[in-house]
Amino acid sequence: MPIAGDIVDALRLELRRGTLILAVLGTLRTEKYGYTLKTELGALGIEIDEGALYPMLRRLETQGLLTSEWREDAKRQKRFYRLSADGALALDELATTWRAMNGALSDILEGRGS
Amino acid sequence: MNPVWDYVKKVEPHLPAGQRTLTAGALYAQLKAKKDALEKSLGRKASDAEIADMLREEGEPQDVAARIAGNAREPELVTRYLASIQRRLPPESALDVSAELREAILSAIEAKEDALGRAANADEIGQVLKEFGHPVVVAARYGGGDYVIGPKYYPWFWYVQRIAVGAALAIAFGVSALRALGSEEPMRVVMRGLNGAIEAGVWAFGVVTILFVLAERFKFDMGWADKWDPKHLPRDQVRQPKGLLESGLTVAFDVVFLLWWVKIVQFPNELPMRDGASAVVTFAPGWEAVYWPVLILSVGVLLVHLMDLVRPAWTPLRSVLSIVGHAAGLGVLWVLFRAQPLVVVTPISGADAGEIERVTRVVDNVISISLGVAALVWAVTIGIEVWRLWKAARPMGRVAA
Repeated sequence: MPIAGDIVDALRLELRRGTLILAVLGTLRTEKYGYTLKTELGALGIEIDEGALYPMLRRLETQGLLTSEWREDAKRQKRFYRLSADGALALDELATTWRAMNGALSDILEGRGS
Repeated sequence: MNPVWDYVKKVEPHLPAGQRTLTAGALYAQLKAKKDALEKSLGRKASDAEIADMLREEGEPQDVAARIAGNAREPELVTRYLASIQRRLPPESALDVSAELREAILSAIEAKEDALGRAANADEIGQVLKEFGHPVVVAARYGGGDYVIGPKYYPWFWYVQRIAVGAALAIAFGVSALRALGSEEPMRVVMRGLNGAIEAGVWAFGVVTILFVLAERFKFDMGWADKWDPKHLPRDQVRQPKGLLESGLTVAFDVVFLLWWVKIVQFPNELPMRDGASAVVTFAPGWEAVYWPVLILSVGVLLVHLMDLVRPAWTPLRSVLSIVGHAAGLGVLWVLFRAQPLVVVTPISGADAGEIERVTRVVDNVISISLGVAALVWAVTIGIEVWRLWKAARPMGRVAA
């Protein structure tokens, strides 16, 4: 029996949830505002809808991982985000975890595991 | 406290109704940018007095409103969309969020217009807004906690619900059974009791749910849940534990029996006889010898059944308790059988001595047979429990190497 599409969709959503935060933190090592962040991630193949991105940015700022600044750019006021010092430390730790998991998963998926 | 937000809220009422949300959002973004620039030039956070000076330079709220209202050129759909989100957000963050969303939406519309090579129409703007998400969903994502009862509390939620609803139903059924037994219209009382039981169950469910929602909201410390010790888990399950309904009904029955035994509740004991005569049936003096043993035994049985409700695990200890309880019950029955007759029949009106003797014999026989059946059932129960204990204690055999 084929796997129901909605099951795969739900699993994909779970898989993406944590990795999106990693992608956002990694991209904000250089300052960006929300719209350019979304388009840059999209160009790299990581799609994220605005309805999820902006609340996430706000949550990460509340957690002290990002800082933000309102500034005029192209005749409009925009909010620019950047990784904070705490955010950089968190990103390092998350990246280490990600690399370890990625290596282990590659072994499992390639059949190199025990 | 956010002085910029306070200032914008003073300007907002002077703006035209149709532009209020969007224009106030734009003003907020503009003033926040000014404040950020001020702090950058100062190299520190601006004090309240410095921010107040900055805002004073903007002018009186009504003048600011008149100045910026004419500049608003944003599409009406965007205004309505942002207003829908804004009214669902906490007041302290509503303007900040809507200002940022406004900027993001306008950027997305501009990108669309660049791709089209012309101004976007209402359908195309609507499409951009749909990609941002329904206002309810977007506002909810800004709302803080994602869960009403999150994964940390959820397993405990159902565990506590089982106990709370089970106990509420058992108590409500017990009370209604008591009322029915003492009533002249038992069916009506039972039906009312059924409603009461459903109500009690719903209340218990509601109260537990509210408590868990509060626990999630205020992040109640669940550190104690990590302190469990596997060594304290019940072992050697002798048989499947009782279900919630069975345990609840058993507790309800125990409560009714206890209340009857200590004479808090009385059942009708008048017996109609031939030719309109009647008599009252009471226990014979032989029962006095078993009053305290039965009372102690009943309280013990009630406690064990309550334990079944809270920790439904049929461990060897639980099995032994069952054997001891039934054996003690058999002891009580043995004392009663030796003390026959079991009842005293006292005539109220119109019954002669021969009739009284006949009724006494019949009632005595009925009770004796009932007690005999009980003795048989309890003896079989003891046998089954002993057999289960023996079966559970048997070695499982060696594991093949």
